[in-house]
Amino acid sequence: MRPVIVPTADVNSETCTIVRWLSADGALVRPDDLVVEVETSKAVLDVPAGGEGLLLRAAREGEEVPMGGTVAYLFPDRVSLEEFRERLEHERQQALEMAAKGATRGPRASRKARELATRHGVDLAALAKTGLITTQDVEAAIRRTAPVDPAPALSPLPAGQGVERILVLGGGLGATQVLDILGGNPARRAVAILDDNRELWGRDVGGVPVVGGRERIAGLYRDGEIDAGIVSISTSIRVRKMFRELCRDLGVPMTNAIDRTAKIGADVRLGMGNVICAFCHLGVGAVVGDNNFLSAYNSFDHHCVLGSDISTGPSCVASGCVEIGSRVRMGTGIFIEPYLKIGDDVQIASGAVILQSVPAGHTLKLRIGHTVLVPPKSS
Amino acid sequence: MIFSRALGNTLRALLERDPRVILLGEDIADPYGGAFKVTRGLSTDFPDRVRTTPVSEAAITGIAAGLALEGFRPIVEVMFCDFTTLCFDQVLNHIAKYGAMYDHQVECPVILRTPAGGGRGYGPTHSQSLEKHFLGIPHLRVVAASLYLDPLTVFSQLLSQSEPVLYVEHKLLYPLSMVDAGGDDSPELLFGLDSGECGLPTVTISAVPRRECTVTVFAYGYGAVQAANAAWDLAIEEEIFAEILVPAQIAPVDWGPLERSVAVTRSLVTVEEGTAGWGWGSEVAAQVSRRFFGSLRRPVESVASARDVIPAARHLEQQRIPGAEAIAQAIREAAR
Repeated sequence: MRPVIVPTADVNSETCTIVRWLSADGALVRPDDLVVEVETSKAVLDVPAGGEGLLLRAAREGEEVPMGGTVAYLFPDRVSLEEFRERLEHERQQALEMAAKGATRGPRASRKARELATRHGVDLAALAKTGLITTQDVEAAIRRTAPVDPAPALSPLPAGQGVERILVLGGGLGATQVLDILGGNPARRAVAILDDNRELWGRDVGGVPVVGGRERIAGLYRDGEIDAGIVSISTSIRVRKMFRELCRDLGVPMTNAIDRTAKIGADVRLGMGNVICAFCHLGVGAVVGDNNFLSAYNSFDHHCVLGSDISTGPSCVASGCVEIGSRVRMGTGIFIEPYLKIGDDVQIASGAVILQSVPAGHTLKLRIGHTVLVPPKSS
Repeated sequence: MIFSRALGNTLRALLERDPRVILLGEDIADPYGGAFKVTRGLSTDFPDRVRTTPVSEAAITGIAAGLALEGFRPIVEVMFCDFTTLCFDQVLNHIAKYGAMYDHQVECPVILRTPAGGGRGYGPTHSQSLEKHFLGIPHLRVVAASLYLDPLTVFSQLLSQSEPVLYVEHKLLYPLSMVDAGGDDSPELLFGLDSGECGLPTVTISAVPRRECTVTVFAYGYGAVQAANAAWDLAIEEEIFAEILVPAQIAPVDWGPLERSVAVTRSLVTVEEGTAGWGWGSEVAAQVSRRFFGSLRRPVESVASARDVIPAARHLEQQRIPGAEAIAQAIREAAR
């Protein structure tokens, strides 16, 4: 058996199309006989047999074949031709079956989304979506199908008479900080944690159980199992605000968590839902809104005014009489000159030294002050 | 249908419906039908209006200028983009200037068509993408062939107005099938048309809706095909989502569609096959950086060919012109 190959005469094409067969299937052909006509993007070519034998066609008219590919086979006798034809037909059937399986693979999804869907038993075909299905889509589906209260057995810790029972919203690293702050105070106790990440349900943070997601807030308060909530999440202003508004809408009060090492000056007015970490300082006459997360070593000096839903990194220091709007996000190690105004929704990069007021909605990036690592000199 | 055939059919349709249309070029008549066979069959059916010319690009372009001034609609085929340098004076100092110079008492609507680009081992003087030297010429439109937009739509618009045009055809597009952007041929990617303001639309291509994309890729010619393939692979394998914008007209740039995408993704990569620097990507980067000062997540990245000649040896050629992996890597970085 020898193959009949399409010559690669046209360097501008990778494939060609079979136009028409010039020799019958099974016919005896000689080397110079033209057996098939193929068309490239540039020309129609006649392909010679290139040898002598009985011809077996390997492609149909209209089919695309690669340049340099095999379009037919030549056999010395009919028996070997028929054997080969059967084998070819069998392979073609198998290929068709494989292709059919491939075509019914279902909706288009990214590899990660497919794996996640398999793990959680999500039916990708049931997700209506324009475009590729992503892990976000699958995660949303998992949340939608999750039962509202899968484990009623999960209940808050008990607390003695007169002890404030606090619900911590968010079960990440922020929760460990809030629990640490509340830990030293016998009059207050964190009795439960809520987190929307189902994988945390049933686990505990520092001995306080994660009893479900946000849908349990109303029930726990209604059933008298908690007295107030506090948001432990510091990394997302959006989520902090969402939880504060949710508590407000559900009529659940919020409480403050203030580390015992913090110094709160005279005449400070403080809202609710604030987390104030170790060694913070609020100067005399400062006014602080609701639901702020102030990391360790923050100092807002005398007569500073802070809005709500603010989140800061450690060592943010404002001189006196600074006004800071709501939903401001501050990095680590920031210094603010006195009397400046920082607008709502401002983001400030770590290390900034702020010498002028920042209008609302702006992002303050740092262009100078980067560090350079100098390796030790080799002796 | 493959692109070269769609383009040939377009030229046939133009000859049929507009008696002002004349095709000129080297070896475009039958039986040769042009170096890439785009005009195959046309001289047989329109022998007076499809004319093979002597080998002088300057002369062909000059004749086209004269025909256009007399009210014809000449469409010139320049056999390789590399030879457009020989037309440059006619284009810059004559064709593009007449309308404005004579206060539009005359117009000179010449269309130059030319195959560009490498990937075929044609060597240093038959593989270049020289369109960057024509970008920014006042009153000249530079339009790029695409698999995503029917050439008949494009040429109908070009003939409906009177500015001269350089139409660049990446030669790797000729044997590729046109993509029916609205059809079932490619159920994977989402296609959209942003009609913009230049008369020719920009095609948008992505795996997921724009709001989920974190980088815009501005690409034309074969680079658009590579970028679209990269967008699909990156979406499936790495959940990196890019929106590819394929403008029909690359100069002057129709900024509207690009701004609408970058306003969402806040990151941009440009892809061209011309040599790096002083080019399309540089201008787009400068303009986008100015328009989006302060709101881009990172500097605009431009993918282009090495500033070097293009060798004939395939493996060396691949090192000079942007490959699929270089484009994918640029998208990866810019999507972060």
